[in-house]
Amino acid sequence: MPIQLTSQAYCKMLLHTAKYPHCAVNGLLIAEKSKEKKKDGHGVPVLCVDCVPLFHGTLALAPMLEVALTLIDTWCKENNYIIAGYYQANERKKDSKPNQVAEKVAARITENFSEAAIVMVDNSRLTVSCSEPIVVIYDHHENKWRNREVTMGSFEDWSEAQKITSALLVGRSYENLIDFDNHLDDLRNDWTNPVINKSVLDLC
Amino acid sequence: MASVSELYDVGWEEMRDKLRKWREDNSRNSEQIVDVGEELISDHASKLGDDVWIIYEQVMIAALDCSRDDLALTCLQELRKQFPDSHRVKRLTGMRLEALERYDEANKHYDAILEDDPTNTAARKRKISILKAQGKNGEAIRELNEYLEQFVGDQEAWHELSELYINEHDYGKAAFCLEELMMTNPHNHLYCEQYAEVKYTQGGLENLELSRKYFSQALRLNNRNMRALFGLYMSASHIAASPKVSAKVKKDNIKYAAWAANQINRAYKVSHKPRPSDTGTHIATVKESANTNCCILGRGRPSTNVGFSIADADM
Repeated sequence: MPIQLTSQAYCKMLLHTAKYPHCAVNGLLIAEKSKEKKKDGHGVPVLCVDCVPLFHGTLALAPMLEVALTLIDTWCKENNYIIAGYYQANERKKDSKPNQVAEKVAARITENFSEAAIVMVDNSRLTVSCSEPIVVIYDHHENKWRNREVTMGSFEDWSEAQKITSALLVGRSYENLIDFDNHLDDLRNDWTNPVINKSVLDLC
Repeated sequence: MASVSELYDVGWEEMRDKLRKWREDNSRNSEQIVDVGEELISDHASKLGDDVWIIYEQVMIAALDCSRDDLALTCLQELRKQFPDSHRVKRLTGMRLEALERYDEANKHYDAILEDDPTNTAARKRKISILKAQGKNGEAIRELNEYLEQFVGDQEAWHELSELYINEHDYGKAAFCLEELMMTNPHNHLYCEQYAEVKYTQGGLENLELSRKYFSQALRLNNRNMRALFGLYMSASHIAASPKVSAKVKKDNIKYAAWAANQINRAYKVSHKPRPSDTGTHIATVKESANTNCCILGRGRPSTNVGFSIADADM
């Protein structure tokens, strides 16, 4: 089942990337939990309605990652969500391949959600105008992560996503984006980003 | 667009002081530095006295971060006029070339500095940064090790090396670098806490116990360090859940984990987190998962679920 991104999910991913241009960043993709198990599940896309930005800088350390996964998993359960994927933007501009960290976290997510995907941000194409989608989506097939072509169909509404992301980048909204690292620095920082979510809604 | 002084109702002295604070903190808030610095130098350069040169340098580096080559070049030219033979300015020229991805030319600049002055640490570190930018992590690590043999006291370099090792998943060597930093900075809670994270990621019972001790030490040095508190909880929980430990060790670690859980709950309450559910539920869940989690990134073995409850830990 391929994943689809809403404007909110795509936008927050890019804001996180833009907030820390000199660092690698990562985060989790969140989907609504569907109650019915469709027999012909293939071809029905999983809609990632939101994302939770996790860390910036050093991504390869375990303890805080485990804490984040557990707390966010709890939050998901309370809100009928499920962790459906993982995104990462690497430190270097020309590097957009998933690395060991990405594969390990995604493997962990796959234990709870078999169709988990890795979304890598292509840093070299990051612009303020967001004229084209700059993510590369990887699915797990036969023990390997293979990238899939990203089309307009990978988005719930690409032109809306493009418009909102561009507006928020221009307005430097990323300065107010909170990731889990920020939360650990000060517990009052809310990693669900209600302020940014509202800005996204206002622009819809 | 309104100027910074209009938007925030500040005078040039406050802007100058803000830039100084950012210099001292070594913060990388380049967009803000460019906003404030550009206005300061274009409108108030004459009032800044000798400070203007260090501000030119600061703004130039921030401009490179923001792809503002126009601004960077302006600053660089002023500095070149004032300090024509300076190695420090030559390094800035090199950095501009790096920003333009003209790495070979940048390297030539740095080599010229080093021929003139083989002890110039800034030029050597820039050369290592170029290797890092080109993705040549192995070479960067080698060069940085050689550098540190000569300049053993360079803390920034030890920290950079620890990060390079972490990115290469060589946690043992990263731990060694952090040990150097802890030795020379015994009161720095951040180094303690990072060391604990590396040990935890390495995995294995001995490393977990070490990590718990260093998370505790970090907490002792700064009792507001949430990472240390969470780390203490996670490491103690893993140890308690391990089948290899004695009953006494298990009991002690259950106590530590319970204490940490309590502190975490209190910290959340104090921060008035508007969470719909009780944070106690969160901690209970973290506890359960800690029992069945293995270190995702390290080579730790999965611990089996022992199923103790926070309530039991109070005995």
